[in-house]
Amino acid sequence: MAEAREPRQAARWLAAHAALERRRLALAVAAGVLATLATLAQLLLLARFVGALLVEEAPLATLLPLAIAMLGLVVLRSLALFAQERQGLAASLALRRRVRGELLDHLARLGPAGLAARHTGALASQLVEQVEALDGYVARYRPQLVLALLQPLAVLAVVAWLDWLAALFLLLSAPLIPLFMALVGMGAERLNREQFVAVSRLSGHFIDRVRAVATLQLFGRTREATAEVHAAADDYRRRSLRTLRLAFLSSAVLEFFASVAIAVVAIYVGFGLLGYITYGPSPQLTLASGLAVLLLAPEFFQPLRVLSQHYHDRAAALGAADGLVALLDEDPDALRGSAEAAPPAPAGRLVVLEGACVDYPGRGRVLGPLDLALAPGEVVAVTAPSGGGKSTLLALLAGFLGPAEGRRCTAPGLRFAWMDQRPLLVKGSLADNLRLAAPDADDASLVEALERAGLAELLTRLPEGLATAVGERGAGLSGGQAQRLALARVFLSDAPLVLLDEPTASLDADSEAVVVAALRRLAEEGRCLVIATHHPALMALADRRLALDASPGEGA
Amino acid sequence: MSRHDQSPVGLLAELAPWLRLLARRRGRLAGGAGLMVLTLVSAIGLLALSGWFIAATGLTGLLLAAGVAARLDVYLPGGGIRAFAVTRTVARYLERLYNHDTVLRLLADLRGRLFAVVAGLDADALARRRASDWLGRLTADIDTLDSLFLRLLAPAGVALAAILGLGAFLALFAPAVGFSVAALLLVGWGWLVVGQARLGMAASRRQVEGRDALRGRLVEQLQGLAELEAYGALADHRRRLAALEAALYRDQRRLGSLVALGNALVALLVGGASLAALWLAATAWQAGALSGPLVVMMPLAVLAMNEALAALPAAFTWLGATRGAAARLNALRRAASPPPSGEGGATPLAGPLSVEMAAVSLRYPGASLPTLERLSLRLAPGERLALCGASGAGKSSVASLLLRRLAPDEGQIRLGGVALAAWPEEALRRRVAALTQRVDLLDDSLAANLRLAAPDAEEGALWAALAWVELADWAAALPEGLATRVGEGGRRLSGGQARRLALARLHLMAPDLVLLDEPFAGLDAETVARLGPRLDAWLAGRTTLFLVHQLDGGAFDPPGIDHALTLVEGQPGGYT
Repeated sequence: MAEAREPRQAARWLAAHAALERRRLALAVAAGVLATLATLAQLLLLARFVGALLVEEAPLATLLPLAIAMLGLVVLRSLALFAQERQGLAASLALRRRVRGELLDHLARLGPAGLAARHTGALASQLVEQVEALDGYVARYRPQLVLALLQPLAVLAVVAWLDWLAALFLLLSAPLIPLFMALVGMGAERLNREQFVAVSRLSGHFIDRVRAVATLQLFGRTREATAEVHAAADDYRRRSLRTLRLAFLSSAVLEFFASVAIAVVAIYVGFGLLGYITYGPSPQLTLASGLAVLLLAPEFFQPLRVLSQHYHDRAAALGAADGLVALLDEDPDALRGSAEAAPPAPAGRLVVLEGACVDYPGRGRVLGPLDLALAPGEVVAVTAPSGGGKSTLLALLAGFLGPAEGRRCTAPGLRFAWMDQRPLLVKGSLADNLRLAAPDADDASLVEALERAGLAELLTRLPEGLATAVGERGAGLSGGQAQRLALARVFLSDAPLVLLDEPTASLDADSEAVVVAALRRLAEEGRCLVIATHHPALMALADRRLALDASPGEGA
Repeated sequence: MSRHDQSPVGLLAELAPWLRLLARRRGRLAGGAGLMVLTLVSAIGLLALSGWFIAATGLTGLLLAAGVAARLDVYLPGGGIRAFAVTRTVARYLERLYNHDTVLRLLADLRGRLFAVVAGLDADALARRRASDWLGRLTADIDTLDSLFLRLLAPAGVALAAILGLGAFLALFAPAVGFSVAALLLVGWGWLVVGQARLGMAASRRQVEGRDALRGRLVEQLQGLAELEAYGALADHRRRLAALEAALYRDQRRLGSLVALGNALVALLVGGASLAALWLAATAWQAGALSGPLVVMMPLAVLAMNEALAALPAAFTWLGATRGAAARLNALRRAASPPPSGEGGATPLAGPLSVEMAAVSLRYPGASLPTLERLSLRLAPGERLALCGASGAGKSSVASLLLRRLAPDEGQIRLGGVALAAWPEEALRRRVAALTQRVDLLDDSLAANLRLAAPDAEEGALWAALAWVELADWAAALPEGLATRVGEGGRRLSGGQARRLALARLHLMAPDLVLLDEPFAGLDAETVARLGPRLDAWLAGRTTLFLVHQLDGGAFDPPGIDHALTLVEGQPGGYT
């Protein structure tokens, strides 16, 4: 039943967020209703104008006020439509900003340990594309959903006042409206789902061939591959047309009823005016009231047609909400542990672990129980077979994870520095990247930090020095240089505790030697280094080794 | 923020190649537009004829009530009304179906065309476009351009035709009404198409870049969360994200307001034109130049024009997005230089090829230092050279040059004594084979991946190739055997299996020059011990270039090396 529950959960989440924008959305609806009222009044005046002109044969000059009133109503309607769209837009922008903020807060609480298993590129796309996909639903679909009920009611009331039999014709189609909506909805949803699957499969094929294009070139197979790409797209066309033939039928039904209603009303009114119909209100029909009824008939169906145009916005938003709700489902507190304060570490100790254990959901105990005390100036090498909990221990020391049992006590106000195999490089200048660690550092200290990290030589080669732009995701720096830049940040920060997760794992021999030398200088500054590593040169730095065993409980 | 060319000439020039592509299907496009016109005519006709009918019956009814003998044929207009109601529905349905078919055909055209463009990119241009977001953008841009006809060209063209047609029709009865309505609506059309596009151009064009920038910062934040949290820099980074989002939304607010303005203008325009039609028709009626029912028909016909104009504001305000997509795809087309076709016709003699590079230099566009500087090397036919060096030393560049996936800036390359540029493409691909560092497998069957190397190979040959790399037992145990799909990028295979499959692919060919980039990377020692001698035997009688990080004399060194050359920053470091 999980599959049946999920979409409803997404819909609830979406509705809850939309409720926060209820003021703007209510204004949008109000503006929409105002536009309808202006339309109704304008059409009634138009009918009256025609009646006065053709039946009463009033001189044109006496009809001028009527024409001016109509013009005023046209302007009012335009303004109301503008206001409706603007309010929907404002609601959508505010909602998307709030949702993205909420997601970012949540991800920050989950922290590095909570995100470790996720593909960051896909996550970032989710935060951009799926949040943006909520737009149409909030800006257009939500207000229109209410308007699709209110506007036909208003039209029906006016038509009933003019001619109750004509209103009855429209009303008879009213029970069909939910049917229409279901039809349109089912069609649109099915269309959307099937199209989505087919489109992504087709894009997948195209992307797959583009990705392998170098190989296709080498085997001299590009011409065949081009033909194949074309053929796949054409095959997709043939299959999707079969779906479309059915899916378009539902909106054709709606279209058909709207057209038929106009035709039926026109013929009813015409015959009534000729005096062929003697039943009910028909004998009282005048040219003006008959024309008004005709003009109002399409307005009765228009809101529903608009709604059906926005229906795919709803499907898109629900799909996106599904992904976002799944993301929000993870509980950060389960990872980080409750915030209840452990007592501070005793003086002279940076971090003290007492019988600390870490459990991962689904994997059970991955670390501990472990006792460990870290003092300033110590260098501790942590070794373990892969998957043996090295990264977990570092995350525990950093506070990215909380102990499931036991305690983690830290010195009051403890700050730490962090470095792993994939150093963070932000798009900006070299200085921007360094000042992450120390926002107020002056240029001289930045240069000094670069020197200590073994980047002095690089700096002298860069004509723009500290202002040199570092491209997106570190473009322009080699892996070794990027790692040394992260080290420079460590030097720049005055954090007494430095946590290093396999800092040299992805480096070639030369870069590795530079990094090891820099770490030695760092240790000489009196900082406490905890290094998770396999590497003999790094282990040689340590004055203490902590071998974590695959079986928990025998560490330390 | 106007670093893009905003002139209309630039716009047309950017769209021109894609309009030409559309033009190849002009028959279908005309058919689709014709159906749109038919739908619109039915909608206008339905409302206009109904109005005429009611007015006619109303006036006749008055005469009858006054005891005047009057006649009105109710069956013809009644039939017309019913016919319009039906054609409107049917035409709309057919139009949607037909035009979606067209759009999907255009999509196939676009995909095919762009794949051919990508296939013409050289190694450097491809390497710079490896990132997955480039691939995503490419497909998104294709989709955007795909809507050029249905969202932009057709609605604008049909609306224009409808305005002119309606004006002419009304002018038949009352020229003043026809001309005024046409003039008003034409001015409005011009604004909706040109004005909205101009005002929205820059902002809508920036949307893709804005989203990319936001995505880039998000990746930074998510990947660097540990460091950001450690240094307490998270809030600061969030502010940068917020600034990017604010810029993106500033543009969206502008675009959304513009669309709202356009929609409001459509309402104003149609309402105003309908009023003008009513007033002028009333004047004509009082002058005795127009019948009563026609006075009613005219404003109603104009009201129905709403349907023709409603789609224009949103489509044209976002024209910049289409233009941006076209510009990016044009840049891609420009980056694809036609490869040297080698029409020289010189075919080298059969047998192992000699290799000769003389003072070859290569500099990538935008790089400050040359990647290769006056590099020379020679291999006699059948010799094996190991080219060593750290990553970035220029090994892969040498391979790309020899495979003619890059052209040298200076120097000469000859294979088998014939200048590389003069080699016929087909002969080059048949006689020179390469195992690249990254193994590309298609999301297709094992057999299809093997047959890339030998399209006509029989199953027996495929099994023999698999046996050669010790994958035959594994493949035979798979329920679907050779038809087993390898998954996206070969994901369902281990790295070692993928590498061996790539080696098996080479074995299906009979090349005279082989380039092998770290042939044993990712394989375990046992497999290497068995594969090494086989590779050695297969390479006998073929000239071979190994690309390796470094040689250590161990079991992972490629077999039978005659010479080794170490590259240091694009220059020969030592010859042994």
